[in-house]
Amino acid sequence: MEGGRVVATLFRMTGDLDVAEDAFADAAIVAFERWPVDGIPERPGAWLTTVARRKALDHLRREARRQTLEQQASEALMATDPDPLPYHTVRDDQLRLIFTCCHPALVRDAQVALALRVLCGLTTTEIARAFLTSDTTMGQRIARAKHKIKANRIGIGRVPRDAELSARLPGVLAVVHLVFTTGHHAPVGSELQRVDLADEGVRLARLLTDLMPDEAECLGLLALVESVHARRSTRLDAGGEAVLLRDADRSQWDHDAIAEASALLERALRLGRVGPYQVQAAISCLHSLAATADATDWVQIAELYGVLDGFGANPFVRVNRAVAVGEADGPDAGLEVLATAEGTDGWHFAHTVRADLLARSGRADEAAAALRAALACAPNDVDRRLLEARLAGLTGVPDAQGVHDHRR
Amino acid sequence: MPLFVTLIYETARPEPTDPGFADFMGGYAAFGELAGPAIVDGAPLLGPDTATTVQVRGGKDGDLVLTDGPFAETKEWLGGFYVLQADDLDAAIALARHIPAAWRDGGKVEIRPAWEM
Repeated sequence: MEGGRVVATLFRMTGDLDVAEDAFADAAIVAFERWPVDGIPERPGAWLTTVARRKALDHLRREARRQTLEQQASEALMATDPDPLPYHTVRDDQLRLIFTCCHPALVRDAQVALALRVLCGLTTTEIARAFLTSDTTMGQRIARAKHKIKANRIGIGRVPRDAELSARLPGVLAVVHLVFTTGHHAPVGSELQRVDLADEGVRLARLLTDLMPDEAECLGLLALVESVHARRSTRLDAGGEAVLLRDADRSQWDHDAIAEASALLERALRLGRVGPYQVQAAISCLHSLAATADATDWVQIAELYGVLDGFGANPFVRVNRAVAVGEADGPDAGLEVLATAEGTDGWHFAHTVRADLLARSGRADEAAAALRAALACAPNDVDRRLLEARLAGLTGVPDAQGVHDHRR
Repeated sequence: MPLFVTLIYETARPEPTDPGFADFMGGYAAFGELAGPAIVDGAPLLGPDTATTVQVRGGKDGDLVLTDGPFAETKEWLGGFYVLQADDLDAAIALARHIPAAWRDGGKVEIRPAWEM
């Protein structure tokens, strides 16, 4: 994330993401030429910032035909900024950039694309591939967002005060969570997961906790994504087919990451401000910490979903709550909860859960109909094959059921 | 300082003889006091029933076509505007949220940065 740090400082100085990115790219080229000869500098980040600053200054001078007061101000800023920058300045710069990319005046798709482009340094092509759109479409989306930021001077004024940061934090956390979930469970395409994107989600969540160590929900989000990510190696079998959470080989999970996630969650809970990410992290940690599928503490998980439901009506939470209640109190109790989940007709997972509960309740015909409804929602190819296999197995094995490792 | 234009969309506006009129105007007077010198310019507009939309078809000297009414017929109509001085979009939003149309009667306020020419 060295690039993100440098771009953050350059953005503060110029207010222009394109200039900031270009200056960093130029500095990286210089580093590529010089470091093998001169050796890696003691503080690579400070070195890159200094060189990038000079490059940005050159750029502004070339544009001197529009020598506004504003440009003179940025030049003065670049000439007088101390070198290396003090920690709190770097921190403020990074926060400013994160909150700019996730500004509520931008549509969510643009926020996510900008976060991947500007904060993670992914290329437009990589982002386009992740969201299965064309380079052109993604390039336009990013260019439009950058233009809107520049025209409205978003992020140019003072750094938001702590109270304002807290108010805007849920939006930022949602973007980071979306980056992670898009990688964890691909909405469409041939693959179930895109580990590279999920990795970026974890890195962004870690950056947020570094910058805001006292925000309980930042810690909660990091605990959540770490705990879910720790199970990534068992999501698919050797043949590339989806594996249900209850069938996973738990010895393959990253137990160091699970321990770290649990420790992060404890740290978050000690701050005494419980929020939805902490509750989701607690649920995920209970799954990750259970030695076997049968040892899963479904009663506590069902209670936690009840708490999560209380943070605001959300059909995705309600469906997952139905799964937990179905495990804790039996399939009929689960079906009762599921009946209250509105607006889930287009979501294959909701139909899959209904099929599981119906099958366990001995209603095989209705279960088969629910699986067909799930298939009609056209999930990704891996999900589709899993559903087809279960539909085929339903008549022979009426109690074939399991929990899909799928958390929204 | 950068300029932001706030376009005020209303759904309902009382007549001067209506009992709610003083309250309606009071909201804008209060905003004027709150925003103070940040307000560079602005004007209230008469209603959309007074609007005329002008278009010249077939190039500069083509046929003048007048439409009786606003450019877009929607439930909300452009009721006025302010030109505000603000450091950045967040500062402009912090002011604009206090414009009565933003919080009253389903109205809305659109913010656009002014083009510095």
